[in-house]
Amino acid sequence: MEETTAEAAEPTVEGGAPAADATTNGSKGRRSGSISKLEEEGDIAADYLEELLDIADLDGDIDIDIENGRASVAVVAEGNSHRRLQRLVGEGGDVLEALQELTRLAVQAQTGDRTRLLLDVAGYRAERRASLTALATEACERVKASGTDTRLEPMPAFERKVVHDAVAAAGLESESEGEEPKRYVVILAPTSGD
Amino acid sequence: MLADALEHLVRGIVGHPDDVRVTSKALRRGALLEVRVHPEDLGRVIGRSGRTAKALRTVVTALADGEPVRVDLVDVDRRR
Repeated sequence: MEETTAEAAEPTVEGGAPAADATTNGSKGRRSGSISKLEEEGDIAADYLEELLDIADLDGDIDIDIENGRASVAVVAEGNSHRRLQRLVGEGGDVLEALQELTRLAVQAQTGDRTRLLLDVAGYRAERRASLTALATEACERVKASGTDTRLEPMPAFERKVVHDAVAAAGLESESEGEEPKRYVVILAPTSGD
Repeated sequence: MLADALEHLVRGIVGHPDDVRVTSKALRRGALLEVRVHPEDLGRVIGRSGRTAKALRTVVTALADGEPVRVDLVDVDRRR
């Protein structure tokens, strides 16, 4: 159980929002920059990615947005490029995580500040978010019915964040345990006092 | 294409983009990409615990689409 207290010390270069990865879901974006700063981050990231797509002869449009106090950049399929864009996602999103890391470094190289920019390619994160939310909601039903804690499969920080949010929405609490890259979410059974 | 892509990826994350050189050699076991950067940038392209180097390799390998490719990072001083 002590391990859960180490959550906030997790390096921010992970895929998700580390400080918000614990059960504290109510304090998003407290380190968020100004809107213009986030727009600048999105623009730098878009330029970096656009040229990469160009060189690699991959078709894709780039959407820039601001979500929960961070810049969000998505490479979306154009025409029938969806399948070819998958190579920038990789198995289990490993290429996407690597590309996000490089994109964050490219932004940092120009602004001088670290960024929590989130990258998506071909809707991968959006789909994962939907299926993880469904998985977490189902698991919560089982926890409520059985009254026992349930441990989920290990997953990256971004995905644990999605699960924590879904668990909170279902009225339960959750914690992350274990060490990266095998860190996993435990959904806690309601205590008898609740 | 791979060398160009790698050069672009590295140029974007270093302090001396004009000093980035990527050369490509065809080896028996696939392509070898050698990246040269300004000595001050070597730490940057390697990253904490080799994290950035690993990210560069992951993306380049993905772009190679199944062809074997190796990425070596060299700092320019070593050539002189």
